[in-house]
Order: sequence, then structure tokens, then C-alpha cells
Amino acid sequence: MVKSTSKDAQALFQSLRSAYAATPTNLKIIDLYVVFSIFTALIQVVYMAIVGSFPFNSFLSGVLSCIGTAVLAVCLRIQVNKENKEFKDLPPERAFADFVLCNLVLHLVIMNFLG
Amino acid sequence: MAASETSNGTALRYAFGNVLSFFILLLIGVLAFSIRLFSVIKYESVIHEFDPYFNYRVTQYLTKNGIYDFWNWFDDRTWYPLGRVIGGTVYPGLTLTAGTLYWILNSLNIPLSVETVCVFTAPIFSAFASWATYLLTKEVKGAGAGLTAAVLLAMVPSYISRSVAGSYDNEAVAIFALIFTFFLYIKTLNTGSLFYATLNAIAYFYMVCSWGGYTFIINLIPMHVLLCIVTGRYSSRLYIAYAPLVVLGTLLASLVPVVGFNAVLTSEHFGSFLVFIIIHVVALVYYIKGILSPKMFKVAVTLVVSIGLVVCCAVIAVLVALVASSPTKGWSGRSLSLLDPTYASKYIPIIASVSEHQPPTWPSYFMDINVLAFLVPAGIIACFSPLSDASSFVVLYIVTSVYFSGVMVRLMLVLAPAACIMSGIALSASFDVFTRSIKFQLPGVKGNSQVDAGDTSSEGVVAQNEVAKTYKNEEALKERPSKKNRKKEKEHVEKPSVKAQIKKRLLVLPFEASIIAILLLVLLGAFYVVHSVWAAAEAYSAPSIVLTSYSHDGLHVFDDFREAYSWLSHNTEVDDKVASWWDYGYQTTAMANRTVIVDNNTWNNTHIATVGTAMSSPEKAAWEIFDSLDVKYVLVVFGGLVGYPSDDINKFLWMVRIGGGVFPHIKEPDYLRDGQYRIDSQATPTMLNCLMYKLSYYRFVETDGKAFDRVRRTEIGKKHFKLTHFEEVFTTHHWMVRIYKLKPQKNRIRGKAKKSRSKASSTTSTKRSETQRKNPWH
Amino acid sequence: MSKLLIFLTLIPLLPILTTSFSLENPSSRRVLVLLDDLALKSSHSVFFNSLQSRGFDLDFKLADDPKIGLHRYGQYLYDGLILFCPTTERFGGSIDLAAILEFVDSGHDLIIAADSNASDLIREIATESGVDFDEDPAALVIDHSSYAVSNTEGDHTLIASDEYIKSDVILGSKKIEAPVLFQGIGHSLNPSNSLVLKVLSASPSAYSSNPKSKLSNPPSLTGSAISLVSIVQARNNARILISGSLSMFSNRFFRSEVQKAGSPTKHEKSGNEQFLTELSKWVFHERGHLKAMNVRHHKAGEADEPTIYRVNDDLEYSVEIYEWSGASWEPYVADDVQVQFYMMSPYVLKNLSTDKKGSYFTAFKVPDVYGVFQFKVEYQRLGYTSLSLSKQIPVRPFKHNEYERFIPAAYPYYGAAFSMMTGFFIFTAVHLYSK
Repeated sequence: MVKSTSKDAQALFQSLRSAYAATPTNLKIIDLYVVFSIFTALIQVVYMAIVGSFPFNSFLSGVLSCIGTAVLAVCLRIQVNKENKEFKDLPPERAFADFVLCNLVLHLVIMNFLG
Repeated sequence: MAASETSNGTALRYAFGNVLSFFILLLIGVLAFSIRLFSVIKYESVIHEFDPYFNYRVTQYLTKNGIYDFWNWFDDRTWYPLGRVIGGTVYPGLTLTAGTLYWILNSLNIPLSVETVCVFTAPIFSAFASWATYLLTKEVKGAGAGLTAAVLLAMVPSYISRSVAGSYDNEAVAIFALIFTFFLYIKTLNTGSLFYATLNAIAYFYMVCSWGGYTFIINLIPMHVLLCIVTGRYSSRLYIAYAPLVVLGTLLASLVPVVGFNAVLTSEHFGSFLVFIIIHVVALVYYIKGILSPKMFKVAVTLVVSIGLVVCCAVIAVLVALVASSPTKGWSGRSLSLLDPTYASKYIPIIASVSEHQPPTWPSYFMDINVLAFLVPAGIIACFSPLSDASSFVVLYIVTSVYFSGVMVRLMLVLAPAACIMSGIALSASFDVFTRSIKFQLPGVKGNSQVDAGDTSSEGVVAQNEVAKTYKNEEALKERPSKKNRKKEKEHVEKPSVKAQIKKRLLVLPFEASIIAILLLVLLGAFYVVHSVWAAAEAYSAPSIVLTSYSHDGLHVFDDFREAYSWLSHNTEVDDKVASWWDYGYQTTAMANRTVIVDNNTWNNTHIATVGTAMSSPEKAAWEIFDSLDVKYVLVVFGGLVGYPSDDINKFLWMVRIGGGVFPHIKEPDYLRDGQYRIDSQATPTMLNCLMYKLSYYRFVETDGKAFDRVRRTEIGKKHFKLTHFEEVFTTHHWMVRIYKLKPQKNRIRGKAKKSRSKASSTTSTKRSETQRKNPWH
Repeated sequence: MSKLLIFLTLIPLLPILTTSFSLENPSSRRVLVLLDDLALKSSHSVFFNSLQSRGFDLDFKLADDPKIGLHRYGQYLYDGLILFCPTTERFGGSIDLAAILEFVDSGHDLIIAADSNASDLIREIATESGVDFDEDPAALVIDHSSYAVSNTEGDHTLIASDEYIKSDVILGSKKIEAPVLFQGIGHSLNPSNSLVLKVLSASPSAYSSNPKSKLSNPPSLTGSAISLVSIVQARNNARILISGSLSMFSNRFFRSEVQKAGSPTKHEKSGNEQFLTELSKWVFHERGHLKAMNVRHHKAGEADEPTIYRVNDDLEYSVEIYEWSGASWEPYVADDVQVQFYMMSPYVLKNLSTDKKGSYFTAFKVPDVYGVFQFKVEYQRLGYTSLSLSKQIPVRPFKHNEYERFIPAAYPYYGAAFSMMTGFFIFTAVHLYSK
């Protein structure tokens, strides 16, 4: 049973990798960006667990800035993904402009909330 | 677009339609604004009620001292001696809005006073709200429904009650913010644009600034998202509409001082985070499903589910532990009373004591939303055919708001827009069908039937819509006969069986029936308009600071409140403290500019209980309580002379309850005779000796010799008495407000011996017996 | 004729005199003395002379003089009143019970001497002040063990008492050696009455009864519960002296030698003169009258008084307290003056230190609680006028920009936020160029 599961998992992993390899580079960049921000968020959570939640607003803004960035990047990824049929009539330039705007708002708020 | 038949005619028609709807919207705005001016015309341009006076005072401060001082404002005139941090405990949306309006107007050299701006903020925003309704309904069901809904909202009595000119309260702008946030959410959902998502978060921010009711949004939208996911309607647009909103919205909400960390720490917001996690999982699942082969996907599912279950359990356990560790389980009192209607009356008398926190009665539904109550079910059904993301949202909105309005009268206000949207959809759909069937049967206009429908400009679903509309229309008709025409009902009961086979031709109703139905619908609309105008003019425009009454010899105006407040401001020292029941706190600080002990912002139960205890104590104890709070004057509102029912004697039991909740020596049964609250000769001695009774009825017998209380419709129990620790300093013209001053402590303390003014000998003997009692030899 | 003369001389003095009693000069200067009989003027002249020598302007009138009045044109004509008219049932002129009480309530001083057969009027004034004379009109205080030894054995109604109140403020710093002679009625005080003080009390063996009749039932007033002389300081600092004996003011008692029964020492002169003179000084505010002024508070290191404090501010508080010596304001020196920083209950309670020149000061930190506070000085000491100062001052919480901005513990968060921002720029560049 364990063997079959691990085998399955291996197969799954293989196919995931092959499937992922097919994604275009710009999407991969986005993915990297997402992974980076989530990683930063995790580090902060761990740090909070060690140090304590005293400057709670700073913690909140730090973590939420990472999560927000990740979420927005995912949104961008959804929109610029050519395979996604839902956003055919949305040009990627427009999607990117929206993304930039949204990020600006996000970071403005973060700056406000950080201190 | 549906009209792909390509002709200049249709394009022109659209342009014409747009211009027309623009003008209609403009007129709706004017309607919404002007229907709310009855209060100014009938009375005068004053701020109404209680809370608006506080908002007005805050706005004055804001315009005088600027935003930073406002943010840091520590108010020492209220909640003496605790003070109140206004900047951190107030929802600043309304104040900032009015302040901005004021600045704009003044920079344009239009010198309006702050008060004028405040008075007219609510009507202006109700015009905005009706436009927002148009936008929202247009997103859901097309422009026709949008316009109808906007008209309905412009004059829905429930909303009018909160937004007449002068009613300068949070709800006035919050309803606009609420509808607009919903519109942007639906817009984002329909377009999947991050731009709208950003706007949505900002609109949400405005809503958070404006009203505590924002929790309704932050719970309703996740519910809708969850509903979409459960019903298998997940799309990446849903993700774009929701995920950025949660992150940005939470951040923005924590920027508002009054919300602060509550935006992440209280369980009202936990639902949204949970759904946030769920939508990520779902998004990932859909993504993986997209790139994997079905077989592999199955393997992945089994793997992930087994791991995911464990993680989920752990997370939920942590959450539950966190929430359960807080005393009220993280829910604030008001929210708890939403979920459990009996909660407030059981545990928090201070919440239950406010009439707008009580559950509404059935007539109030008819009073506040009138015929809309009958159109709503039709609208719901219309929303189900076809069910889009947007229409499912509206359905969810109406269902939840009906529930909430059933818990608290005040939330009827949230129901009103939903009811308007639903009724707008129902009405426009039925008109649509009737006019189409008329056109269809009129010779020579057959081909044009579609154009009318095209007005709705919904995307490519016109054909489908038509199908749906017939169905709706029948429902709409079915509603009506129940109160109008029984004969009709029979006729239509047969119809639903027909609707199964949907064929365009069969959908056409008989010509006469359509005409009659349209007439009846117009009649219904007219009835609604008449009712709304009546409500705006008569029921909801009284400012409650000035009262009027009609009697055989004409109109009487009772301006006692302002009389009393101006007496206070002219005849007392600036630093004097005035004690009254908390209802009058805001007005006293705003109009008399005197320090009060408690006010309508009921944040400190103990302090209110102290005042309640003082009011329900005998004179001496009350004097001591008030003296310890440095109170100089006590203000009571008394309606017994003119029959003003919401006076302090009628509120007195709440004072007893609230006081007794903190100070157990005040017991409610002591004030009730056999469970009955009475002030006549049957009243209990505790009642007859309490301060509130004495201050209310002091010298009352001098008015008519019998001391007949017109509110309680009885003669009072104790007519002749003197006050020893208080002295009457002012009573208004109609005795509605009575102000007493605390007498200073006696300069000398008298000896024990009785006064022996007349007969020394007779008193000597009594004195002797008295003194002998202290004799140690006895 | 002499009355008219006094009156005429008074008239030009009026404008000067009306201003004489003020906060700046609290001693009574013009005193109306109401007598039963003008003979008292000479029989009690020692007492009156001592007053006059201290600068008092005594105006002697018969109690039933129809022209007497306490005030005219809304101004009080007198600053003090001495009632040496125990038997008067009605005053003449405009004076009655209410007028006298009002006189006291507006801050003026009063000396009442009753006697056996004191009238109801006098009793009532005393009762209103918190002193209950024995109701039996014929009763006198009798003491069979500490009476004054005299030539005739008598009925032991002449009492020699030395049970004074222990207060230097009231009776002066010089010890009264000889006992005080007293002959008159006793009175009792309500122990819960905090305004009345027993200055001279009877010995435990005393009782109050009619000496001529037999003691049938137990006397109502006995032992040291009997007060012979009492003083009252009303809440507005008006002072009243009530004595059960008029004769103790008389020259005869002042001069007479005294020997307390059972005591071997025989004093040349009774303690009455010293006792009553000192007491009259107190009653007429020549002693024990405090005033506080120049209440100041400011932040440490600043000079101006702020309108509002912030929590955790350091502040300095100072007040000046002076005592009236009869002629001028002298610095009051004590180490028990306290200031409270008060909101519903005292949050800070500090002893004020003094520089012996009247100035009292302290420094403390505002508690970490916001609200409307008061600086309160409640100084009530036996014999002194009560000082009750309160000054309201709001204390606000931190402003939004007064919190600590950069907290070291939060640097990782700052780092994360900024790295996200730079990440965003890099990503933007990469994303745009990768196409």
C-alpha cells in the first residue's frame, strides 16, 4: 500500500513537473515571484512566533504585504495566462496596468500601516 | 450584443436609450433629494434626533481644527470624568464626507454653514445611493431593472426614515457605500478586472469608515463566494473579485482607528479569512486539474485530501481554541444579538433598551418597505432564471438581510436596498413581458419586440431572458391578486403548467390581460409612491427636537428641548456638569456645550449604571452619587403635562435594570407593583421615593390641582412633597425638560432637638424622650 | 443719645468698614454686641476691653432695641455678633432667628452665651448650629467632685473645669494653668456632627439637673458628654462659639481665684481670661485661618500651565498656603499637606514639601490613564479653616504620532515590506522585458 502510494506520488510528481515545464516563461517568473513572497511571509510568521506579537501592526502589514503581493501576482497570472479562456478579450497590457495600480494601492496602505 | 443585426437604427436607439436613462437617473437623483426635504419645509433646517447632534459637533470640530486634531481629539466634555477619545472611537466616514463637502463648497466661495452642509448630506447621499442601486441592478439584470430599482430606492420609506434632511447619521452615507461596494464586487465578478477589485477595496474602506454595519459586507461576500464554490460555479473571476478584496480590505479596515486590530482579531471577520483559505485551495485544485491528466488528478486528490484533512483539523482546532479563550467568544454584544435575538435582552439591558435594537413588528415591514414586500418573492424567482453569479449574490443578499431585519429594527435599512433591487427586477421584468406581448399582438410591430428587451444590454442572453421574464411576470401577477383580485389568480394558476414548454410564441399573453396587468402594476406603483410620499412628509420628517401636535385650536409647537439647552448654555458655568439619562447626552454637549456624565455612545456600562442608580435611588443617596461625580445640574425629561410619551418616566425601568445590573441593591421588583409598572397611588414606596419620580413630578400638582399624568393616563401617587437636596432651577414652557440644581451641602449641621417654635413645653417632653433614648442608664 | 452718636460715627466709616472683611483680611472688625441689660457692659468689661484692645469695634445694643439691624442696603454692617442676651425672647429691629442664621451662612462669626433660663430663641440658634442645650430650662450643670471651692458651700453649680480641647490653634500655644470657672447650663453635641467641637467639657462626674429640685429621674445629660463650651466651624468657615454660661465672661469670674475641689493648688486667678481671650481670637479668625493661592502646575521643565496633559507626562505642582495672624498673612508651615491627582479616586497622592515660606510643591508623573483629572488639596485640620482646592485638568492619551515609530523588534517586518516593494519593481522590470 505504502509502496503504491509512493509510486503514485512519484508518478504524480513526474507528471506535474512535465506539465509545469510546458508553462511559458513569463508565467514561470510570476510563479517564482509568488513563491518568493510566500516564503517571506512564512519567515515572518516564524519570527513572530519566536519574538512575540508586540508590534502587531508591523507584523500584520509585513505579512499582509507578502500575501497581498502573492495574491495580486496570482491574479495577474490568471489574467495573462493565454490558456485561460475567460480573459480572452482582456489584453495583457491592461491586466498589467491594473496589477500595477493595485500594487501601488497595496504598498501605499502598507507604508501607512507599517509604523 | 444582441442587436447584431447591424443597423444604424439600433445604434441610434441605444444612444437615445442611454441619453434617456441618463436623464431618468438625473431625475431620480432629484426625486431622492427632494422627497427628503419635507422636514426642512415643514419644520426648519435643523439637525434631528440624538446621534446626529454628536456627528454635527464632531464635524464642527473637524472643520475648525483640521483632520489631525480630529484624529487625536480627546473630548473632556463627555463621559465626565472619564472623557472619550473621539478620534479613536468614532466612525469617521460621515464626518469626513461632510467636512470635505464643506471645504469644497467654501473653496468655491459658497459660504454655507457647517450645519447646512450636515443637514443636506443625507439627501445628497441618498441620490448617490439610488444611482449606485441603478449600477448594481444593471450589473445583475440590465438597465431597465436598474432604473426601476433606482426609482424604488429613491423613495423607499425605510431609507427615508434614516436620511431625511437633518438626519445626519452614519447610515445616511453608509447605505450608499454598502450598495456601491456590492456594485463593485459584482462588477469585478463580471469583468474579472483587478482595477475594479481595487476600487472595490477602496469602496469597502469607505464603508468601514462610515458604519459598523460593514461586517455585513465582510460576511455576505464570503458567503457568496462559498456558495459559488459549493455550487460548482468557481471561476478565476471569483478569485480576482475576492482574494484582493480580503487582503486590501483587511489592511484598509485596520487603518480605521475604531476598527483597528479588530479587523483581524474578532470572529466577525474570521469567516472571510476561512473563505480566503478555501478559495486558495480551490484555485489550486482547479489549476492542477487544468494541467494534469484526469487519472493523475485523481491520485493527487487522494493524496492531498488525506494530508489536507489533517492540516485543516489542526487549523480549526487552533482557531476554536483562540476564539473560545475570549470571554464573549470574540463576538461583540451587538453582533451576538444578531445571531441570537434573545441574547441582548438576556444579558445586556443597555442594548435591549434602545428601541431600534428590538425586533420589528409585522406592520413595520409594511410601513417601511410597503408593496416591495410583495414584489420581493417575484424578484427572487426572476433572479433564478437564469442564475448568474451576480443574481445569486442578490438573492443571498435579500435572504440574509431579511433575517437580520427580523432581529433588529435598525437593520431594516439594510433590507431596503435589497428589496428595492428585487422589486425593480420583478417590476421591470413583468413590464417587459406585458409590453412585449402587447407589441407582439399589435400588427406591424412584431419585429421590434426584441429591441425593447435589448435595452437591458445584458450580454447575449436576451433570448434566454425573454424566456425567464415570462415566468417572472406570472409570478409577479400571482403576487398581486392575493390582495387585489381573486379572479385573476385562478387565471394564472393554470399558466405555470404552460411555462414548461418554452416557446417564444406561446409566451405571449393575451392582449387584454396584458393591458389590465400593466394597469394594475401602474396602480401598484402609484400606491407605493403615495405611501412613500406620505411617509416622507408625515411619519419620518419630524426632527424630534421640535415637536408639533394638532388640536382643535390649531398647530402647537413644542420647542422645549432647545429652550432648556439654551437655558443651560446661558445660565450655567462653562465647566458645570449636567447629569441626565444618556439619551440627552449628545444634545447637551452639542447644543448647551456643557459637560455630561453619560451620552449616547454607550461604551461604559458601569458609568451609565451609576447614573441609572442615582436616578432610581432616594434623594439623599442620589445626591451623594451625583456629588461624587461633580454634577451641578440634573436634567429630566417629563412628558406628563403635554403627553409626550418618550420621557424619562417611561424609560425609567431601563434605568433600574441597567443600574441593577451593576449595583445589585437596585432591584427591579421594588419598583413594580405585582409586576406592573405604575406611578399612581398603587405604586411602591421605592418608586414614589426615587429621584426620578420626585424630579419628574415635583410641583406637578400645581398645574391642574389633580396632578393628572397624560402619558400614563392616571393621577400620580404622591402629589405634595418637598425636595431637600435638589432645587428646581428651570422648567420649560411645556414642562418637558426640567432642570434641577444640586443644593450645596448645608453650611451648618443642625442639632438633634426638634424645632420648638410654637410651644416649648409640648416639644420639651418629646425631646426628652428622644434624648433619653441615648441615655446609657436605660 | 449715645446710640445715635455711634450710629452717626458709623455712617462715614461705612464705606471703609464694608470692605474690611474680605479674603485678604479675614478678621472680624466690627462686632455687634447684643445685651439683655447694659449693665453687662461694665460687669463684663474685661472681656470687651480685651477685644477692643485688639482692634475690634464693639457696638453695644440692647437686644430689644427696635433700631438694630444686621445689614443695610444689602451690606452687612457687622462682621461679628456677640449674643450676651440669654433671656431675650425676641430681638428688636430686623433681627430674628433667620437673620442670624443668614448672617452666619454668609460667613460671619458669632458668640453665644446662654445661661440658665435661656430663652427659646437662644436655644434655637444653638440648635441650628448643632448644639443642644439641656431642655430643662431650670437645669444647671452640677458637679459634686470637681466644683470650684468657694467660701459658701453652695450647690456645686460653680464648676472648675480643665478639660480643654487639645489644640494649640484654638486655645493658643500657651498652656492654661488654672481651671476655668463655669456656671450655667450644659449642652450636648451630636457625635456624628463633624463641624462642632467640644472645647471645654464637664468632668465625668457632672450631670445636668435642676439644683433646687430633688433628682427624681436620672438626668438626661451626664458625665463628659456634657459640653460646657463648644465651637462650630461652618462649612463656609464662619465660626461660632457657644457657651452655656454668660457669667464665665464676667469680670468677677475673670478675677476670682480658683481652687478645684480635691486639688491642693489654689490659683490666684481663674483660667477664664486666658481661655476666653484665646478662644475669641480663634472665633474672630485671628488664628487658624488659612488661605491658599497661586495654584500652579506645569510640565517638568516648562513654565507655562498647559490646558491638557498627556498620560505619563512629568508635572510639577505648587501652591502657596498662608495663615492669618490677626494682622498679616504669615507663611503656614506644616508637613502634612497632600495633593491628590483625582479622577473618581485618587490616582496619585503625594505629600507636599514646603520651603517654610508658604510655598508647597511636589512633582509626579501623570498616571497611565486618561480622563478628566483634578488636582485636589483637601486640608482639614482641627482648628484650621478647611482648605479645599480643586483644579480640573484633562489628561489625554497619546496622539497617533506620539507612539514609538521604529521598534527594533519590528525590523524584519519592515524588511519584508520593503523587500516586497523592491521585489515588485524588479518583477515589473523583468515581466516587461521578458516579452
